[in-house]
Amino acid sequence: MAGPGHTLLDIRNLSMRYANGKMALNGVDLSVAAGEIVIVLGSNGSGKSTMLRCVSRLQDPTGGSIEVAGNDLARLKGGELRRARMAVAMVFQHANLVRRRSVLANVCTGALGHHRNWATALGLVPRQEMGKALDYLEAVGLSHLAGQRAGTLSGGQAQRVAISRALAQLPKVILADEPVASLDPQAAEEVMGLLRRLAKDEGMAVLCVLHQPELAARYGDRVVGIQAGSLMFDMPANQVSPERVATLYNRIAA
Amino acid sequence: MSVVSQPHGHPVPAAVSRGGGGRILIRLAIVAAVLALVAQSAYVVQARPQDLVTGIHGMIDLITRSMPPDASQLPTVWWPALETLDIAIFGTFVGVVLSIPLATLAAANVTHSRILYLAARSLIALCRSVPDLVWALIFVTAVGLGPFAGALAMSIHSIGMLGRLFSEVIEDMDMGPVDALTLTGASRLQIFTHAVVPSTLPSLLGISLYRLDENIRASLVLGFVGAGGIGFQLLTAMNLFQYQTVSLLLIVTFLMVMMAERLSAYLRKLVA
Repeated sequence: MAGPGHTLLDIRNLSMRYANGKMALNGVDLSVAAGEIVIVLGSNGSGKSTMLRCVSRLQDPTGGSIEVAGNDLARLKGGELRRARMAVAMVFQHANLVRRRSVLANVCTGALGHHRNWATALGLVPRQEMGKALDYLEAVGLSHLAGQRAGTLSGGQAQRVAISRALAQLPKVILADEPVASLDPQAAEEVMGLLRRLAKDEGMAVLCVLHQPELAARYGDRVVGIQAGSLMFDMPANQVSPERVATLYNRIAA
Repeated sequence: MSVVSQPHGHPVPAAVSRGGGGRILIRLAIVAAVLALVAQSAYVVQARPQDLVTGIHGMIDLITRSMPPDASQLPTVWWPALETLDIAIFGTFVGVVLSIPLATLAAANVTHSRILYLAARSLIALCRSVPDLVWALIFVTAVGLGPFAGALAMSIHSIGMLGRLFSEVIEDMDMGPVDALTLTGASRLQIFTHAVVPSTLPSLLGISLYRLDENIRASLVLGFVGAGGIGFQLLTAMNLFQYQTVSLLLIVTFLMVMMAERLSAYLRKLVA
């Protein structure tokens, strides 16, 4: 576990230009330290999700660097990239669980990168991970659902299972792309509380995209605003004024 | 008064308004084109409905001579019937096993190599575009008369049919779990077995069972070119004018197809 204050994710001059010439990201600089939770706010199409997909290399950036634990993810390829990005887990908007598999099997798949052998290649769950997977489920309060099919879970439960899967990966950095967008207020609080605990108790760096300024203020250490692919502000969460948020979303503050 | 019964009289935008002289003309042209197409096909196939009427005596004569079915031939029917079933089972199994990796390569969302994608697509298209009867003729030349030629023909044709359908299922699947597992550092094979297979399995099983059902019907015809099964016996009995044996074979065929259809439908419901 890294000590607090140590930078785990360091993004420099990150750019992404689509084939049609449109700039999705324009020289973004951002760092997240161990134990820190940074919230990204911005209107639809501003480049928030693209930034997370570039950081995880689900999309290839066209410029810049993404340092995670000493590795520049932007420059790695093939096996090197696969190994290096195990340090980065992602929680998606729709959980992205395999709906027909059990909750426990879904959590175990988070550890597949640590168990590259014939048994797991043939679709078997790594047995040695089952105990740990139950612990991760216990941590999110869902160990009693371990045997249930993932497709039967509610949105909030599915998101918590997705966080357990991310924990099984043993990441240093967690990226969360609108993890509460489809959840009711109570489930949203639970998920955000869980992400904050991971940052504070486990020393992970959490970069989370949200659309709710009130959640950002409550759960974030810092808030960054992004507009048209460029960072507009980066400041402590308690200093973000409603006017600044309103400007970011191109609306008049109440 | 009901809301529905009150017309508001809003002007209908031109883009959504239907009718108009141009549209009617286009529709009439389409109907005329379809009728012309059917008329030319009737001319080319030399369709003469009156021949059906004049030939009715021949058909009645054939049916009369086919009755009653020759039950004494029943013991000799079981083995060819089993051959027919097994040609379909073997062909479907081999088709499924080989078409899964091929379909994965032929799915653009999981195969990033353009060369592999095009090669897999071409191979699937080749297997599909040659009819199973032609494959049977080719394999009869290669391995001789008998059910093995039929089983090989059925396998190759099944790869073509299943490969295409499987690749469409894979291309339509939710890519969320694939993205999620990619970030865990899983290998491509692990992603395939842990995300692609479980997500698409019900569809693949349903399609495979439907293919088995189709293959049982198709394997009856393969016997006509010497590729084994009940079709070969049917052709022999026809050539020897043993119409009572023919009717027995047709009854057995009907029962087999019906049972296969029922079983396939039941199993498809189970895996849905």
